[in-house]
Amino acid sequence: MIAPLVLATQLVVWHSYRADEQRAFEACVQEWNRAHHDVHVEALALPHDGYASKLEAAIPRGNGPDLFVGSHDALGDWARAGVVTPIEGLVPAGSLTQFLDGTVAPLRVGGHLYGLPLAFKTIVLFYRTDLIATPPANTDELMKLARATRAASPGHYALAYEAGDFFYHAAWLHGFGGHILDAHDRPALSSEPSVAALAFVRTMADEELLPSESTSVVATQLFNDGRAAMTIKGPWFLGDIAQGVPFGVAPLPVVSSTGQRAAPLVTVEALLLAARAHDPKAALAFGAWLAGPESARIRATRGRQTVAARAAWDDPEIAADPILAAFRTQLSSTVATANVPAMNQVWEPANEALRKVLRGAAEPRAALGAAERKILEALRPPPPPVRAMPYAFALALAGVGAAIWTLRRGRARLAAVGGPGHGAPWAYLAPAATAMLVLVFVPFVVGAGMSLFWHDAGHWTFIGLRNFTDILSSRDAPITDPLSFYFTLAVTALWTVANVTLHVVIGVTLALLLRDPMLRLRGVYRVLLIVPWAVPNYITALIWKGMFHRQFGAVNGILVALHLTPVAWFSRFWTSFTANVVTNVWLGFPFMMVVTLGALSRIPKELEEAAALDGASRWQRLRYVILPLLRPALLPSVLLGAIWTFNMFNIVFFVSGGEPDGATDILVSQAYRWAFTRGHRYGYAAAYAVIIFIILGVQTMLTQRRTEEAT
Amino acid sequence: MASLTIDHVGKDHGATRVLGDVSLTVADGELLVLVGPSGCGKSTLLRCIAGLEELSRGAIVMDGVDITRAEPRDRDIAMVFQSYALYPHLSVRDNLAFGLKMRKTAPGEIARRIGDAAEMLGLDALLDRRPAQLSGGQRQRVAMGRAVVRRPKVFLFDEPLSNLDAALRGQMRVELMRLHQRLGATMVYVTHDQVEAMTLADRIAVLSQGALMQVGPPAELYARPTNLFVARFLGTPEMNIVGAAAAQASGLVAALPDTVASVGVRAEDLHVAPGGVGAQVDVVEHLGPEALVHLRVEMIELTARVDARQVPRVGERITVAVDAARLHCFDAAGQRVEGRQATADSPKLGIGKP
Amino acid sequence: MKTLRIAAVHAILVLASAATLYPVLWVVKMALSPSQGFAMSPSPLPTKVTLQNFIDVVSTHDASGWLFGRQLFNSIVVAAAVTVVGVALACSAAYALSRFRFGGRTLTLRAFFLSQMFPGVVTSIPLYVLLDHLALLNRLAGLVLVYATTAIPFCVFMLKGYFDSLPRELEEAVLLDGGTRFDAFWRVALPLSRPALAVTALFCFLTAWNEFILAFTFMTDPRSWTLPVALQRYVGDYSTEWGHFAAGAILVSLPVMALFFALERHLVGGLTQGGVKG
Ligand SMILES: Nc1ncnc2c1ncn2[C@@H]1O[C@H](COP(=O)(O)OP(=O)(O)O)[C@@H](O)[C@H]1O
Ligand SMILES: [Mg+2]
Repeated sequence: MIAPLVLATQLVVWHSYRADEQRAFEACVQEWNRAHHDVHVEALALPHDGYASKLEAAIPRGNGPDLFVGSHDALGDWARAGVVTPIEGLVPAGSLTQFLDGTVAPLRVGGHLYGLPLAFKTIVLFYRTDLIATPPANTDELMKLARATRAASPGHYALAYEAGDFFYHAAWLHGFGGHILDAHDRPALSSEPSVAALAFVRTMADEELLPSESTSVVATQLFNDGRAAMTIKGPWFLGDIAQGVPFGVAPLPVVSSTGQRAAPLVTVEALLLAARAHDPKAALAFGAWLAGPESARIRATRGRQTVAARAAWDDPEIAADPILAAFRTQLSSTVATANVPAMNQVWEPANEALRKVLRGAAEPRAALGAAERKILEALRPPPPPVRAMPYAFALALAGVGAAIWTLRRGRARLAAVGGPGHGAPWAYLAPAATAMLVLVFVPFVVGAGMSLFWHDAGHWTFIGLRNFTDILSSRDAPITDPLSFYFTLAVTALWTVANVTLHVVIGVTLALLLRDPMLRLRGVYRVLLIVPWAVPNYITALIWKGMFHRQFGAVNGILVALHLTPVAWFSRFWTSFTANVVTNVWLGFPFMMVVTLGALSRIPKELEEAAALDGASRWQRLRYVILPLLRPALLPSVLLGAIWTFNMFNIVFFVSGGEPDGATDILVSQAYRWAFTRGHRYGYAAAYAVIIFIILGVQTMLTQRRTEEAT
Repeated sequence: MASLTIDHVGKDHGATRVLGDVSLTVADGELLVLVGPSGCGKSTLLRCIAGLEELSRGAIVMDGVDITRAEPRDRDIAMVFQSYALYPHLSVRDNLAFGLKMRKTAPGEIARRIGDAAEMLGLDALLDRRPAQLSGGQRQRVAMGRAVVRRPKVFLFDEPLSNLDAALRGQMRVELMRLHQRLGATMVYVTHDQVEAMTLADRIAVLSQGALMQVGPPAELYARPTNLFVARFLGTPEMNIVGAAAAQASGLVAALPDTVASVGVRAEDLHVAPGGVGAQVDVVEHLGPEALVHLRVEMIELTARVDARQVPRVGERITVAVDAARLHCFDAAGQRVEGRQATADSPKLGIGKP
Repeated sequence: MKTLRIAAVHAILVLASAATLYPVLWVVKMALSPSQGFAMSPSPLPTKVTLQNFIDVVSTHDASGWLFGRQLFNSIVVAAAVTVVGVALACSAAYALSRFRFGGRTLTLRAFFLSQMFPGVVTSIPLYVLLDHLALLNRLAGLVLVYATTAIPFCVFMLKGYFDSLPRELEEAVLLDGGTRFDAFWRVALPLSRPALAVTALFCFLTAWNEFILAFTFMTDPRSWTLPVALQRYVGDYSTEWGHFAAGAILVSLPVMALFFALERHLVGGLTQGGVKG
């Protein structure tokens, strides 16, 4: 083992597999390493959240792996951004036929092949064999079954799936004969078949044949409880099925009106060759083996992967597996997700249209038309490049002006102080100032600079202030639309005011209560009430998202226990907003409470006693003595709290996720979406960030000035 | 030991002029008391001497060496703050040792000096306590001890007794004088309390609004105040000051030269005597051996110090007379007009007629 | 009347505490339940109890050994280093801003404040490139510096407020006693600011201990991850191992809670002066 390792080529492969898939993958790598002493492979399992952005950051700078497992739908971006590199010439041309039909084509971009398919991920119909003997073959049967189930036992469903997710809906869309993109990669959402597909799902929703909130968790729970006979899920669902639930798997039904099978999207999971891989040949040798039948067998049997290698399916154990077989059957009726930039822009508007229609808030045709317009708007060609010289000149001029102004003021001050040791303050400040300058200020300037550029797949074009004018003129959406800058700004302001007010009111109230000297157990209360502060806020967000769940969340559980109607928290603006606020208040009141306790302890007891002797009631003492004294002490914390709340990304992003339709998004979460989920428009996101910065800066300055005047 | 010269020192805080142009010399071994009303710049001057404030103008010279630009630690000056400024996190012993440790004094020497100082100030029992566990008087003593152990060239005191009660203040005053005699050190002592100033000082410097009014031994300042401010500021009760015209009209004094705008008489120089000016007794304050009698001559309010055995009753009409030799005359600007000049051509001055 | 009032106060506080603890108990329930599903019922009490999730999380291994231990070690090292570096930089900067008057002082204060306002969404990419240039990528040291600079502004405001409230005479006494400015800072101002330092330290620790996104962006090797990154491995694109996630979340939160409880007294005192006087 030792000697060969020294000479061996080292390869690094990144992936984000978990559980069985991870174990199978690592077993494959081990197998390879055992047999190939000249090429040693190391597999790194990374978190799925942030996996893509990690790849995009690391690989172009040479810090990435040689190979990585990625899904083909991001391949278009990666190819253009130089994250991946073509593999033609590195694999024998004939070898590609060993893969199932439809698993290789999605790995091509612009005529180049970028990787080898490992597995395909699609969705099929899971059904409980104890509830239905054979699954419905077509949509007519499905509807009949669904109506019968509803009639027989309310609260039970024939089918529960993530109807509000366009990824799932695409199966119907294709079954009805529609397309997401047309032959020229332009959105085709408003075509007749697509409208018909949406109308079909709408009918199911209207007749209450689907559970009112159709999320993944609900579907799983209903299926496990026997309250849903069928669900539509991918292979990952196998791990979520409760023990002892008898189930079968079948391809999706045929759409009766067209005679075509519902065709879900398929994602090909491929081993991709990273740009800057240091030994592409060795990498591909490993790649070919990993995608090949020997490894595929391991991955299929141990990892329950639906593998792409044809030969593996001949293995008796795999051939005998009815579940895997159903996936393979479904594969012939699937559509690969397009890997062109246009596809990135489809999801959000399409999801929005879908949910609107399911809620009964819009008609299918109108909603799809609106979605299509939004997609087209997002796909608009980049603004023309602008000459950078005038801007550079203006910037230089402003810089020189600022420098002169600072120097002159600075000199005046220095002269006034004079005397020995005025160099000393900088000795104390230098370490912190240097660190801040390098690690905060420089990224800030670069980030702000990005706002003057248009970003497309790793290429930057200087476009001057165009991003700002687009945002401020609300080019993306009408002003009243949740996606418009002004709507988001109003929501952000409301969000900040609501949170800060509640933080202060609750924090001060609790602090005042805790101050009562007659109170026993003060220490205990204080410790208990401080707990939320100690919990990392992404964990808080996930917990509360669960608590607000429509069907199973504790909040609705309590409402039901109190004989109130449960609320679908995330389907309307005000309830969704409330859920966010409640979470953030839970998270933030301890800080204000502790600050208030501190401030209270500094108010001399005599003041209150004097007021009491003057005949002030408890309330009057609070109103006229304590609160006025608290105000200045709390103001700085309130100011800082307001800034933090204004930019409180985690809560909004994880709790409501902007639902409904991005209405509860605040400015930062919009910026995040532009940067990472709407086709990497970093320049646009940077412009959002700069605007946020300016708003906060101006607001703070005004507040400070006002308080300075007041004191 | 050292002498200290304050040479045309001025200090501005932005646009506010806190000290105008102060020149002053403190002799070696002298206890100079800097006195003046609150806010007149005493602390500022003291802090300038200590090097805690940078001067806007002028220089400070110690033993012939210009220390204007020297760091406080290089000046070898100790200061006792009004708030004592004891290090709250250190025991009394460590408080006393701090300055010595900073100057790298040998541990044996430190222990010896602390022992001496503790004995001198009666701190032996307190050495292991924290400042928070001490009474006001004890803290005061520790603060003095901290200065004493250092054996600095100059001691500065900034109203060190103002936070103590009257009895304790009297006691500490005596102790301070004893300390000064024993150490023979150069000391600058700041107070707003003129009694303290009078009792302690070798010399007093009176400061008002950042300007020096008069410097001299207490007795001289008392007897010959160079201006109205000093005249009023020193002595209890405050000197009676009467406008020259009113004084002459009432017959309290004889004719005055035109240069005199007002005259002053200390309470002990205003006698209840037959044949004086008629006066009405308003209030009587008994002080034990003597009493202060507040009376009115026409509309002029005056205070006289009277032997306890001859106190008039309230409401009684009496006659008072001024000791002409003890009359203080001031011109329109408030500056002293020398008595001899003023009285040269009016020999009858001060003797009132009924 | 008095007892009635106290009873009412207790009632409110019990209610508030319950609302505070409820979601936490819920996580505990998920962690103790044998399933990896999302436990959802109003009752925060677990029905079936098993420690399997905790055992799974703690016993994570990779080829080189005990991965969880390694990551715990990283977390501790990073958090401790951030605490030391953050407190050191923040308190010296705060001292300068509190005690000296110099040209650029207000500007510096403003800059510290403004740095809180620029959303991190956009700076993470430039920061990545920067760390790469400084050869700090994939190094715990890089992470330490980034976290420290994140925590510094708040710490500076808090400490400056506290220093402002300390009587200057104490430090002047040091100067007259023959000490330097640094002696005044080191021997008097710092020892007297213990409560504020404790809070600052806690804040630095918290910043480093809980952060996930930057840690993952900058660190590639699982052996150099901190616990929150490892925790994120239980969250997948299609499904989440809720039991493991909850158990991990509890393990991550416990030390912080312990610190909070230990420093609770200081927290009140230390934040007391925590003014941001511009
Ligand atoms: N930092 C400062 N800025 C402006 N004015 C000041 C400052 N420090 C002191 N002063 C002013 O200087 C004057 C003298 O103060 P001080 O020397 O403390 O008087 P005191 O004689 O009572 O000790 C006061 O009127 C005070 O308001
Ligand atoms: Mg003073």
